[in-house]
Amino acid sequence: MRFAFQTLRAAALLAASFAVAGAAIAADEIVIGASLPLSGPLAGFGNYQKWGYETAVADLNKAGGIKIAGKATKVRLVIRDDKTDPNVAASNTETLISRDKAVAMLGSCTPALVNAGALVAERRKVPIVAGCDPLGAFKSVRKWNYAWVLFFDEGDLATAPFRMMADYGLATNKKVAILADNGPDGQVVGGQIWPATAKAGGYEVAHSSSFPVDAQQFTSMIGQAKAASAEVALVDAIPPQAIAIRKQMASAGYNPKLLVMEKGAEPEQFAQALGKLADGVLVGGYWDPSFPYPGAADLGKRFETETKQTQSQHIADSHAAAQVLLDAIAAAGSTDREKINAAIAKTDKSYVVGPVKFGADHTSRIPITMMQWQSGKAVVVWPKDRATGKLLFPLPAAN
Amino acid sequence: MPFALPDAAVVASSLASGLLLGGMLALTALGLSIALGVMRLVNLAHGELLVGGAYLGWFALQQFGIDPIAGLLLVGLAMAALALPLQRLLIAPLAGKGMEAPMMTMFGVSIILQNAYLLAFRADTRAIEAPYAARPLHLGPVTVAEIYVIGFVVSVLLVVGVHLLVSRTAFGRDLRASSADPVAAAAMGVDVQRVHALTFALGAACAAMGGVLIGTAFAFTPSAGATWLLISFAVVVLGGIGNIFGTLVAGIVLGVLQSLGGVLLGDGWRDFVGLALFLAVLALRPQGIVAAKVR
Repeated sequence: MRFAFQTLRAAALLAASFAVAGAAIAADEIVIGASLPLSGPLAGFGNYQKWGYETAVADLNKAGGIKIAGKATKVRLVIRDDKTDPNVAASNTETLISRDKAVAMLGSCTPALVNAGALVAERRKVPIVAGCDPLGAFKSVRKWNYAWVLFFDEGDLATAPFRMMADYGLATNKKVAILADNGPDGQVVGGQIWPATAKAGGYEVAHSSSFPVDAQQFTSMIGQAKAASAEVALVDAIPPQAIAIRKQMASAGYNPKLLVMEKGAEPEQFAQALGKLADGVLVGGYWDPSFPYPGAADLGKRFETETKQTQSQHIADSHAAAQVLLDAIAAAGSTDREKINAAIAKTDKSYVVGPVKFGADHTSRIPITMMQWQSGKAVVVWPKDRATGKLLFPLPAAN
Repeated sequence: MPFALPDAAVVASSLASGLLLGGMLALTALGLSIALGVMRLVNLAHGELLVGGAYLGWFALQQFGIDPIAGLLLVGLAMAALALPLQRLLIAPLAGKGMEAPMMTMFGVSIILQNAYLLAFRADTRAIEAPYAARPLHLGPVTVAEIYVIGFVVSVLLVVGVHLLVSRTAFGRDLRASSADPVAAAAMGVDVQRVHALTFALGAACAAMGGVLIGTAFAFTPSAGATWLLISFAVVVLGGIGNIFGTLVAGIVLGVLQSLGGVLLGDGWRDFVGLALFLAVLALRPQGIVAAKVR
């Protein structure tokens, strides 16, 4: 009996010391979490985001951290790989909140992953700030209370090729082929906005196809686009599919005059995998180090110096999202999630992506540009006042 | 969902592409088929061996400028050399312990390999660049990818080569004996363990060479193996387990039917057609669509 009592007392002491230690850890650092696609088809995006998040946090810690109750506190960023799987993104978010004790979250990439994590954060009343989630797809999920996104709007993105063609007076036969995956943003851009904008601009949708996000063979739809003589080809697909589609277009002898490949043509790996075939391919963009925003030029240079890779616009939206969250925690002066959430709502400041101010729908819009791959470099070709290079038109012949 | 046929040139080009791609699918499935037929091994790491071949082909091109087709046999040999110790260390000790243990071991190997590729090559999407990788070949109104034609010819030659190896050599005789009755074969002096090791290496080599063709025609990532494993299973079931020519016929049938599905229903329905066929054959003719077994 005496032994049992002593054991019980020892266990109670041990539990108490763990609780005290836990409280001390919580007071010594601020934990924020992020679930990112570091493997799987979207890893090309995730690795840029990881750099953007980590850089923002490292810079803040170097400058002394955030003052919480008058005491400078360091921020610890915990990142988990969601393997480009929305189910893993959701479970990672749950783990980051419950096990890692994250007071706030940073988002993943693409609507499927960001929204999956945001729904968990919303349920747990934990603020989450994300880039890399087109605003229409984000807003369509629900009325958000704790999730915030700064990115471009699908409407802006989808209409950009048509606005660019009008601005530059590009001559085509006005026949459009649309090839879009059946993911949330593919359905919005390829299934709704592109057809509507084409029609409004006097273009004829000569062919339209939808495909699963893991498809590999596209010979039939490419053959039909070619047979329809579509001189404008609009593709919405993730990188592996975009690369396969570009190769299969060339091997089918289909050479449209204008080729836009949303999502998939964004990361540098697109140009690396395709070599000369990437030349002339257009993709909607929203950032370049040449843009006149605070820290933009430095961020691009820093990334290239540190990683020996070409910069990507995803370093900017992720860096800005992290700074928005860190500024909000600083403004709240507390790790109280409700106070942090209220501070995010009041954000009104210029970051590397430009001015960030959230509307009632929890979104802040980044203006769109058109980028084009030219000799392995992404060049801004539209709008004219931001262009860093001249548009290649028509698309260079593949063979 | 549009059911109207597109114009004849599109249909002919799609079906020709399907036929040619089917040859490549047969090569990618051959390794799975012979491992299953001879060793009763459900090799769940088959897709990763295929992706490994694609990385080897990519690496050989990037580092040494070796053309993917010219270096195909080299990649096959390299993968066979890597597969031999894998079989000796992980599969051989599980002989006689049923099918589940080796199957789960290979599942573990598939996860380890995916992560190894991730560490070695990063998660980026890659493709093997070659002048013929995206070049069209025009035959009248029919247009097909040159890599499909090359891939088909290479695949058929390799399938025939494996058939000759199995049917005309002493190793092939031992392999067939081990497949039919490993206990009796061992009693007759056949070194069944050695046959199993070489069979596994041969299967891995076929997967790797198929991977080079796939990596040249399409794109690949460290986690791309699962898609090709599923397609390979469909080909193996269609062709009959361990049936070498059956695998070739099945690959071509699957390629053509997938293309027909793509033409009639849209490219997004290709996998549906393949898997529906897989289930139908499994239910109605589990021995495969090709009656005569070569092994």
